[in-house]
Amino acid sequence: MAQILIDGSVLSASYALIALGITLIFSIMRLLNFAHGELFMIGAFMVYYVYGAWHLPFVLGLLIAALVPALIGACFEKFLFRRVMRVATREENSMLLAVGTAILLDNVALFLFGEEQHGVPETISGVLQIAGGFLPYQRLVVVVMSLALIALLLGFVQFSRPGRAMRALAQDRDAALLMGVDVDRTSMLGFAIGAGLAGLAGGLLVTIQGVNAGIGVDISIKAFIMIMIGGAGVVSGALLGALVLGFAESIGYSALPGSETYLLIFVALVLFLIIRPQGIMGHPWG
Amino acid sequence: MTETNEPFFSVHDLVVRYDRVLAVREVSLACPAGSAIALIGANGAGKTSTLRAITGLVRPAGGEIRLEGTRIDGLAPAAIAACGITMVPEGRHVFPLMTVRDNLMMGAYLRRDAPAIRADLARLLDRFPRLAERINQQAGTLSGGEQEMVVVARALMARPRLLLLDEPSLGLAPKIVADIAGLILSIIRDDKVSVVLVEQNSRMALRLSHHAYVLETGRIALSGPSALLAEDDHVRRLYLGAME
Repeated sequence: MAQILIDGSVLSASYALIALGITLIFSIMRLLNFAHGELFMIGAFMVYYVYGAWHLPFVLGLLIAALVPALIGACFEKFLFRRVMRVATREENSMLLAVGTAILLDNVALFLFGEEQHGVPETISGVLQIAGGFLPYQRLVVVVMSLALIALLLGFVQFSRPGRAMRALAQDRDAALLMGVDVDRTSMLGFAIGAGLAGLAGGLLVTIQGVNAGIGVDISIKAFIMIMIGGAGVVSGALLGALVLGFAESIGYSALPGSETYLLIFVALVLFLIIRPQGIMGHPWG
Repeated sequence: MTETNEPFFSVHDLVVRYDRVLAVREVSLACPAGSAIALIGANGAGKTSTLRAITGLVRPAGGEIRLEGTRIDGLAPAAIAACGITMVPEGRHVFPLMTVRDNLMMGAYLRRDAPAIRADLARLLDRFPRLAERINQQAGTLSGGEQEMVVVARALMARPRLLLLDEPSLGLAPKIVADIAGLILSIIRDDKVSVVLVEQNSRMALRLSHHAYVLETGRIALSGPSALLAEDDHVRRLYLGAME
């Protein structure tokens, strides 16, 4: 029981970074970032190379795991989505582009990183024992850093000038434009931060789960599940979705073989969406 | 560049098109500094489209829009806002999940003069005691009249030189409409802001404005000093509900 709580907390905290990132992009641009899992995967590989292969400090690896996906996200917005969303007459156009970016990154990653599964050495060894459950220090590091990053993001969105611009755009696009919010710059920044969060989540979780070039799709699907549970475009929904998925996984894995857990999660998700299609917190970003 | 006879704000032969539908055809307006002009007309006559073109929310298909002689048509909305043009859009577009205070502060988004912003906020809260009471409440939970006050106060926080008001009285109780009319009058007289007022409530629009334009199917059918238009048979019959 204690072990389920510990594992659930570790998963939820890092999943929240994924869910918040995709929520940020969705709420500002009304765009579902299909490449979110790929950005996660790239972040994971950055930590693998910088820390695991080249033996440079873990923190440097994390920094690069945030910066490289952020740069990719900013370029996607500036050179691809900005133009397509301006000239497109149908929403499907930008959605197809989003799928395209995911496939592109998948194949570039396969080409650059190869097919094998990679892991990294622990950044810190030892195990904490809490109420009969085991919490390796490595996982504690992941939880603490995830929580710190979540707090940092929420503070940024709530109190900074660009953060206010993002909330304004998400809540009423026309009114935000009329107040002088620069959509292009704010969207690019939002995409970069969302992508950076995905990369950070990858960079943190690679210390536990390792990485291979094929995990992108799985992570994207988890991201979609979380925002479907919580309600697309809502901060509280993203956090709640991460909690639900993290604990569903930890409960499932302790009771069932791996593949059955996700089968049950999908069945539960479909039933849930029939009852409440807008998610638990379904209203715009706050 | 500014000639002496150039009005503060002018629109010349504006055309707005949505796909193949012409919403505005060759509309020309002029608003002297410190003046208020009104656009009246039925639903779909092109009033809102005209305002959206002025603010850059839609890109004009033709014509020129000038502020103090400088063309602003084709600029991005943020650039037009930076010129000092602010609009209160139709339907009370508050930021629903932000507090009243954050809504008002968004009005000053482009300003960098923090002490003056604080002073303006304090002045506006004196002017709108209702909003002062609800300063920390989420704007989406306010009544329609209160939300209208939020969006007008938010626009004033931008210290606009030209304020566009789109249907400020729409859907409000008669008592609140009277309050809003008084507010607009004081914005014109006391704040000395130039105003373009779009209203289906033509009686109110003609009373508040100096000059008025009647739009019919995207064209200006009639224009003149508001006091004169209020006496015009065509206007009285179609827009003021007078019996023949």
